Amino acid sequence: MAVKNIKTVTDVICPFCGTLCDDLEVDIDTKEQKVIEVRNGCQIGTKKYFASNPSGHRYDKPLIKDNSSYKEVSWDVAIDKAANILVKAKRPLLYGFSSTECDAQGKGVELAEMLGGILDNTASVCHGPSLLAIQDVGAPTSTLGEYKNRADLVVFWGSNPVHAHPRHLGRYSDFVRGYFRKDGTNDRFIVVVDPRNTNTAQLADMHIQVNPNEDYELLNAIRATLRGVELDGDVISGVPKNKVIELVNALKTCKFGVIFFGMGLTQTLSHHRNIDAAICLVRELNDHTKFLLTPMRGHYNVTGANQVFSWQTGYSYSIDFSKGYPRYNPGEFSSVDVLIRDEIDASLIVASDPASNFPAAAVKNMFKHPLITIEPHHTPTSVNSDIILPPAIAGIECEGTAYRMDGVPLRLRKVKEAPGECLTDKEIIEKLIDAVKKKKGE
Amino acid sequence: MNKLLVDVKLKLKKRPKFPLEAENITPDKFAGKPAAEIMKLTIYHGNEEKKIRDFFDVSGNGGEVNDTKIIIDGDLSNVKRIGEKMTGGEIIINSNVGMHVGNNMSGGKILVNGNADDWAGAMLKGGELEITGNAGHYVGAAYRGFWKGMENGIIKVKGKIGNEALSWANGSKPSKRFPKLICGGAGSFLGVHSHGGTIIVEGDCDRCIGADQVRGTIIVKGKISRILPSYKKLGQVKEIELMNGEIIEGKFTEYSGDHSVEKNHSKIDKKTGKISNSSNGRLFVAA
Repeated sequence: MAVKNIKTVTDVICPFCGTLCDDLEVDIDTKEQKVIEVRNGCQIGTKKYFASNPSGHRYDKPLIKDNSSYKEVSWDVAIDKAANILVKAKRPLLYGFSSTECDAQGKGVELAEMLGGILDNTASVCHGPSLLAIQDVGAPTSTLGEYKNRADLVVFWGSNPVHAHPRHLGRYSDFVRGYFRKDGTNDRFIVVVDPRNTNTAQLADMHIQVNPNEDYELLNAIRATLRGVELDGDVISGVPKNKVIELVNALKTCKFGVIFFGMGLTQTLSHHRNIDAAICLVRELNDHTKFLLTPMRGHYNVTGANQVFSWQTGYSYSIDFSKGYPRYNPGEFSSVDVLIRDEIDASLIVASDPASNFPAAAVKNMFKHPLITIEPHHTPTSVNSDIILPPAIAGIECEGTAYRMDGVPLRLRKVKEAPGECLTDKEIIEKLIDAVKKKKGE
Repeated sequence: MNKLLVDVKLKLKKRPKFPLEAENITPDKFAGKPAAEIMKLTIYHGNEEKKIRDFFDVSGNGGEVNDTKIIIDGDLSNVKRIGEKMTGGEIIINSNVGMHVGNNMSGGKILVNGNADDWAGAMLKGGELEITGNAGHYVGAAYRGFWKGMENGIIKVKGKIGNEALSWANGSKPSKRFPKLICGGAGSFLGVHSHGGTIIVEGDCDRCIGADQVRGTIIVKGKISRILPSYKKLGQVKEIELMNGEIIEGKFTEYSGDHSVEKNHSKIDKKTGKISNSSNGRLFVAA
């Protein structure tokens, strides 16, 4: 009679990518607290639900490194030891926060301020350059619903939603039928700018195959052409001049256009200047038609991390509290840079896996110093840490708020209980704050 | 008055583990203070508040701001913000130096006998910064989100500099503000978003020189790896008049731009299709 134990939760928000699909249906085995079926989700989102089930890859008790093996300890011991490391540190790094909910991020800010450490989120290795450009020249943006209902020209620049945001095309940007775009994909003109012939490029009406690392020159040429300048060269960044003119005509004559840009623009040569140029292009296109742009955020709540950090400190990432007040300077206080210069002496990693994403030199320096991770799964970071604190996965095993890539906050749902002794990220950081307070005599 | 009396000598005892935040090492802060008081000035090491004496040996007393000369020895590559916001006097650094040296300074002189890290002379408002070695990225640049970068003064770098030097430079002929950078070679995005900066590069440059330049002059005496597509070639010139009236002689190819910027002063006349003579965004490359 296994059927009796099944509970279906509807309208679940998927905590995987920045698209935050809000129509998932999850079947739970209530007796064993296991996910048994996920409907409506994409491949990667569904996998995240199944990965939350208890398994050999999931931590369910706090662990402390004892020589080369780990031993299970109580929460009190683990928190006490972690707080000792953090209080002793003169320049601790608190990194991650993008795959957890906003309350935990807020507590992270409190802890960083108390410790006088460096606070950073994963934007510093993904869309940080977008934030820099927005600080330089502003950003005309909108919610995804506007694009769904109005956009008749969609540009994907350096992003591949078919693989990275699988349901984005179907929910907001291409196939979906909108109020003014009743015929869905037939009513839209899709442009993909990418050096590779990606699966998204294969769906596009126009594929601009730009040379790798030459996006800035192409944006620059598009902007000049838009202003009526005859270009001197015949081929710009590997794109023939007449194709640039064709693209500019398409951009100018649409009714409502949007640029979605991803890592292909933010993390290739010229970084934030690419976004700077893209934003300036959008600004100038608004002389001719309505045009907007939106970054394709990766982690489901990296936008939330930026929102919470900006709201509480004034800056969205790369924040240094060493003088007691927040200071901001990517390049100086961003995690990869401080790690490569070996400027830290302890780190607390929350809900992220820098060891598999950071440059080897940075990871090596991170492992040199005491490392605490709040992480539900075995990852290259967690298996090298000194203390592992197992959390409940936000959006699956605890509630919370997350921000979609367009800055819309959505309430995450709890579908099942966390295994073992897992606590929520917020509770763990609160425990750390209390312990640090006590040790500092406050 | 014997000038030696107003020299303050600092010597770093040992390279600190974490970067030192030494914004208090300026002639302004040292002025009128004897060595004993200078030693008590605050310096930040990691998240700890320390005193200058914890890291430096100090000798000599500060005089008037403009007469105070600070000489610093020892490996300062991890010491940040020396000469921040200084208004006069002189600093001589006999070593490599950390980030933000001479940022926001409005007068006086800093000489670095070595290399400087990123943000050297950021948002300079006056005075002179001389670096005998190389310098990092963002030399004389605007800090994040600022729309006005270097406003006046001069930065001389004998070696090469990194990317995005003199971004958002803000010069003005009527109010006689001429931000100027002279360097031996440069990375990419030199003078990005420049509004009237003057840049002279003795050697070669990387890509995207003068991107989004609205006004300003960039002179490259070597080669540029790639010129931006939005720059228009105008022809050959034999001499260049800088914004402050100086003349530079030599054979150069003149370009105007950046024509992708909406507010560029080097407008293209809609009727004639020619570039107007009042063109201010200029790039010269050795012919």
